[in-house]
Amino acid sequence: MNFEQVIGNRRSTRFFDPDRPVEREKIQKILEAMRLSSCAMNAHWLRAVVVYRDELDDELFERLKVPVTGVLMELAPVHIYCFADPTIVPKDKGNRVKELIDVHACNPSHGWTYKFVEEHAWPAVLKPLSESPTYPAMMAWDDGGAAMQGLLMAINQGLGACYSVMVEDVAKEAFGVPDEWLPHYVMNIGYSLEDPGQRPRPPFDSLYYERHVDTPFERDEKVVKELEEAGMLQDPEPKPGRKEEVRRLCQQLGLVE
Amino acid sequence: MSISNPIESYETVQIWAKGLTEQWGGNPLAEDPGKLETLKSFCAFMDKDPDELYAFCFLRKRDTGERFASKKRREELTEKVFQFVNQSGFSGVEKRRLRSSVYSFFTHNGVLV
Repeated sequence: MNFEQVIGNRRSTRFFDPDRPVEREKIQKILEAMRLSSCAMNAHWLRAVVVYRDELDDELFERLKVPVTGVLMELAPVHIYCFADPTIVPKDKGNRVKELIDVHACNPSHGWTYKFVEEHAWPAVLKPLSESPTYPAMMAWDDGGAAMQGLLMAINQGLGACYSVMVEDVAKEAFGVPDEWLPHYVMNIGYSLEDPGQRPRPPFDSLYYERHVDTPFERDEKVVKELEEAGMLQDPEPKPGRKEEVRRLCQQLGLVE
Repeated sequence: MSISNPIESYETVQIWAKGLTEQWGGNPLAEDPGKLETLKSFCAFMDKDPDELYAFCFLRKRDTGERFASKKRREELTEKVFQFVNQSGFSGVEKRRLRSSVYSFFTHNGVLV
């Protein structure tokens, strides 16, 4: 699968094969992809706990579900619980940025020196930032990117994936998660049984601008065609036969019709 | 006996039937009579008719009298469905199918349990 196809094939999978387990090496590759994501201050706040559905006892499993996630979690054999560890930056005091200086990823050409980190970046920028109300938003931005890399790796390996909300207190207690970690989402993983079209999206020019928000970024149809040929832009939902596919899956899996 | 009238005559069952038809076409309740039978059994288990089952999910706010879908009641109902399904003796997909028949009634009436 090429890069465009991986993006184009991604869907929020809701019909997983409940009886087909996910290979452990594929889960590891998902986590490896998360670890390589871009992250401010090289902080890497994302923490993930891999949970195997069939190892959960019935009572705990019921407590981990909410109405809209129950079926998803029952069908997906693997659930990756994603959290942010906000203590990293206050604990590290800029040391992870210094690691980037050591390996010449950050250089004096762009203003980065140990002295700058110790005397300015940490006390005047990073420390106040880690104490500001916008800090969780910053973590969420980077962790979302990391999770998406993992999710696209799942697609690249022929798996399906879908995020769902988590029941924070139950998950933390069950999986020994430190109280200070902040909950993100659960990434449900498994083999997809469905083959839907791409979901409806807002029009391109209602989202993106060029030079000024008064000027929508105009699509070049040649580029659109190129991306269609590469498999990134695909037939939109509903594909012919989609309704029948969903009903068949509901009946096959014993789901609500 | 909790159901005194034909089950199809209850308003909530008619809403369920309409929802299924709109979703899938045809007349799914007539095509699969097992769904109605399951609902009948659940009504007996709960000692309530279908409209009473639906009404059970709602409470009114003490101060304003405004009706709302009660989380506590829905959790209670979920537990009852759990018990109902467990006493059936089914397992796996059959068990899930039984539960889904009950949930389908609530879902098409706009109640997520």
